[in-house]
Amino acid sequence: MSKRALITGVCGQDGAYLSQLLFEKGYEVFGLDMNTDSQACWRLNYLDVYSKVKFIQADMADGKALLEAVASSSPAEIYNLAAHSSPGSSFRLPVECGEITGLGFVRLLEAAREAAPQARIFQASTRDLFGAGDGSAYNEGQPFNPANPYAAAKLYAHWMARIYRESYGMFICNGIMFNHESPLRGIEFVTRKITDAVARISLGKESRLALGNISAKVDWGYAPEYMQAAWRMLQQDAPDDYVVATGQVHSVEEFARRAFQVAGLKWSEYVESDPALMRPTDIVVQKGDYSRARARLDWEPRVKFDRLVEIMVKEDLKRWKRHLNGERFPWDVSET
Amino acid sequence: MAKKAFITGITGQDGSYLAELLLVNGYEVHGIVRRASTFHTTRLDHIKFGSDSKKERLFLYYGDMTDSSNLNRVLERVQPEEIYNLAAQSHVQISFEVPEYSAEVDGIGVLRLLDAIRETKLKTKFYQASSSELFGKVAEKIQSESTPFYPRSPYAAAKLFGYWIVVNYREAYNLFACNGILFNHESPRRGENFVTRKVTSGIAQILAGKTDHITMGNMDAQRDWGFAPEYVEIMWKMLQAPAPTDYVVGTGRKHSVKEFIESAFAYAGLDWRKHVKQDARFMRPTEVDELQADPSKAVRELGWSPKVGFEELVMIMVDADMRTLGLKPVGKGDKFIKEAFPSRWWGID
Repeated sequence: MSKRALITGVCGQDGAYLSQLLFEKGYEVFGLDMNTDSQACWRLNYLDVYSKVKFIQADMADGKALLEAVASSSPAEIYNLAAHSSPGSSFRLPVECGEITGLGFVRLLEAAREAAPQARIFQASTRDLFGAGDGSAYNEGQPFNPANPYAAAKLYAHWMARIYRESYGMFICNGIMFNHESPLRGIEFVTRKITDAVARISLGKESRLALGNISAKVDWGYAPEYMQAAWRMLQQDAPDDYVVATGQVHSVEEFARRAFQVAGLKWSEYVESDPALMRPTDIVVQKGDYSRARARLDWEPRVKFDRLVEIMVKEDLKRWKRHLNGERFPWDVSET
Repeated sequence: MAKKAFITGITGQDGSYLAELLLVNGYEVHGIVRRASTFHTTRLDHIKFGSDSKKERLFLYYGDMTDSSNLNRVLERVQPEEIYNLAAQSHVQISFEVPEYSAEVDGIGVLRLLDAIRETKLKTKFYQASSSELFGKVAEKIQSESTPFYPRSPYAAAKLFGYWIVVNYREAYNLFACNGILFNHESPRRGENFVTRKVTSGIAQILAGKTDHITMGNMDAQRDWGFAPEYVEIMWKMLQAPAPTDYVVGTGRKHSVKEFIESAFAYAGLDWRKHVKQDARFMRPTEVDELQADPSKAVRELGWSPKVGFEELVMIMVDADMRTLGLKPVGKGDKFIKEAFPSRWWGID
């Protein structure tokens, strides 16, 4: 019998790549999300796995629905990827963010404790737990300093994972994921915003790109590789927390330069700075130390910065060209 | 015009003392009370039914930390200058049974309040009841404001969420908000399912012949125990300081649960070994072994200097519980309070 996995937030970037990975490994995948229609799950469609996922439509705010989801899928592995994943909007909708990102996980933990206590659980933790970086590399032992309601909610979930692990002996891992991008990244994130804009500018559909804090330095990796790490965490003999990162930082400015360069354009001719796009408390310079993941999971990031930007720009260029040729396909950008 | 304060958790140990302190200081005091099938405002009865005029400045509303629109409405109406967020599902062991509810009240509740302040554009100061339980499996032998946190219960994780939200709002919106990281503080008003009060009320019951034993969980845990009325004074002081920041508040000494039991039984003239049973059911799934405060920042900046030490606290609590059951108190605790607090602002036990 094939192994069963339950993925919350299955329609997001990570959920799509993780589904693809688990199908390759022969898993049966139960995918939970608020909206599971074909457009909302365009990423799964894009990877051509939409029809293989067994969908459970449920809200992380609904504990009973989560209990039913766990009971009916009886998973060997649970991956909690559901979140209000944008730190910026967490200042606008802090209560909602806390409900989904923080309490959603405790509802899931309680459901697992009740209906699948042996299930191995992956919690998508984040580098946002560390707050503003000082340039040094962060490992699993560094103190936390969350700078926004999203990060505070993620930190709550992070600790609940450890408390349930220590109190009930459950197999729960926190993957402290540094930024991970891909062509399936949401358009509201700065990397994808840049690569989409570069594609449009290059095709004459747009002439400028407004960015917030372009000096912020970020440790950027390639999302599919990060899901590989998540899966490996749950295959270990014992649960633990792992930083997943590349160990290298690049500024938003470098990202923009590189993206325009891939398209054969000069960035300075198109980019404008917009203070309105800055967060109330913004994060600067932060990189991850993934020694533990390398040593124990045999994990190493292969796609580095230059290649990552290239993958993203080329994919967005390809999409826009197909689109302008009249082709229709699952995508998150609608032409206005 | 009288200053207005808004207190959540006003029916609790800290809330009732704080209400009294603020009323004595001339404030108008507003608080929210949860609706329940039984009345649970007994800690405020001596104010509500007291003979002096203080009760005319005390206002209670139905409210709940899980109800955003209710919080908005009450704040809009009251327009307080100071808010003290003391409401919590405050029992650590029970938080393992109701983790989601604990987070709704202790974590998201803070967000609801701060969001209500932002939405109603109130100019107010904000006190958040943080807790020494944040330190949990302690990273440093003695804990100060800079000690990293290590929560070990759903209660502590939820309180940590609240702590950071307060820091976020202070930094992002310039809100005058303080976290009081208070170590254990006890009193005759402590709930009877908390370990200190369980011991002292148990002793009174044994003396009154109503039972012959009490059943305890882990007796090795060590805590930094102080006297609650002194801790609510420091809450108020935090909001009168020139700038908002976070403070650790404790006595700086630690004692085990077992020492508390020994002292309390000895004070009442009983041999604890004959009356104390142990039961694993009362143990937490994960325990916090020892907590001890380094309150030097509060000493330096707020003039913190607690008068009640461990032995005095034990005597005060045993005396009060004996009196409650109609027994004649041993009296040393009562005498200490009279001498140490000649202008005591709080009423009966």
